[in-house]
Amino acid sequence: MTPEDFDRLQGLLATRAGYRLTRDRIHLAEHRLGPIARREGYANVEALLTNLWANPVASLGWAVIEALLNVETWFRRDRAPFAVLEKELLPALSGARPGGRVNVWSAGCSTGQEAWSVAMAGLDAGVAVDLVATDLSQRAIEKARSGLYTGFEIQRGLTAHTMLRWFEPAEDNWRVRDELADRVRFARANLLDEPADEARFDVIFCRNVLGDMEPARRARVLDGLERRLVDDGCLFLGLDEKLEGETVAFRPVSGRQGLYVKSPSALRRAA
Amino acid sequence: MDFKTCLIVDDSRIIRKVARRIVEGLDYEVDEAADGAEALAYCTGVMPDLLLIDWNMPVMDGLTFLRRLRAMPGGDGPKVLFCTIETRPERIAEALAAGADDYVMKPFDGEILQSKLTEVGAIAA
Repeated sequence: MTPEDFDRLQGLLATRAGYRLTRDRIHLAEHRLGPIARREGYANVEALLTNLWANPVASLGWAVIEALLNVETWFRRDRAPFAVLEKELLPALSGARPGGRVNVWSAGCSTGQEAWSVAMAGLDAGVAVDLVATDLSQRAIEKARSGLYTGFEIQRGLTAHTMLRWFEPAEDNWRVRDELADRVRFARANLLDEPADEARFDVIFCRNVLGDMEPARRARVLDGLERRLVDDGCLFLGLDEKLEGETVAFRPVSGRQGLYVKSPSALRRAA
Repeated sequence: MDFKTCLIVDDSRIIRKVARRIVEGLDYEVDEAADGAEALAYCTGVMPDLLLIDWNMPVMDGLTFLRRLRAMPGGDGPKVLFCTIETRPERIAEALAAGADDYVMKPFDGEILQSKLTEVGAIAA
């Protein structure tokens, strides 16, 4: 891959996905695009990219983008947010909602571990949760929807007890049990797109997504999250992700790392 | 001295070596035993804070050792992780019922072990 190819890849990821492909990922990019080049019948990655630049077919462009996104995730990542959700937020929100139903969105759900973790929290809390999980990557969504995880994936973040409760063996993998499987609706969505419907959520998980984004694109995503979140709703970001001057819409909740609520100014603006 | 101790019980020297490297990286002082009988003798002398136990071993298997350990004076103290290639749910449940705090299916890596040890409270989150 030439430096020019990498520059153009950076541009493609930034424009279409808002994703910041840092220069130290050049070898990773080469490595991940190899299988796509082979699958699409190109001699090598250079040939694939030459063709993509000359003839930008959307499907090939998205295949390239998906291969370069950071899809790393695991069950109950950082643990504390899921405990706060189960023990504090779901009971409180459920009590305040007609019918007790709570709407949750896992935004940037990757291969689904976060969404299943939220669904488990809902069932453990005895609260009816309507859960939507979206990701930019079609491949990640398909895996999430399959509910199939390898021995490595299933053990990362889950105790054996929890694993046995919610998953069952399926040949060499583990598959989410039926009682959990129908609790999540997975769909492909781009956080850069304008909301196309009126869906609003009581809790949004958008963890470890903004940290990988181009700073210039983060405000747009945050604006979308604000519009999707009800006024007394809660937003979870990754523990290392800080909002610095790019939005006045959210303020952190003290003592609950990664948890945000709408700021008074955002509420005034909405009124 | 204020270090935590871990006994790795596995008949495979390679597995012991791999596990030792991971656990030492989590600030444990590590010893090794090649079967349940060796481990039982070790624990009679000094009770470790943490044990990683394989299931199938010569002389005394891991499940027998675990049951004997839990019956010993002070034997309910250590955190115990079963680490084996056995993946059948009923066998996993059996090990948990016998007193294992958690269960790791081989193959595993450092991230899995770290996540399991955090769950059982053997290392800080």
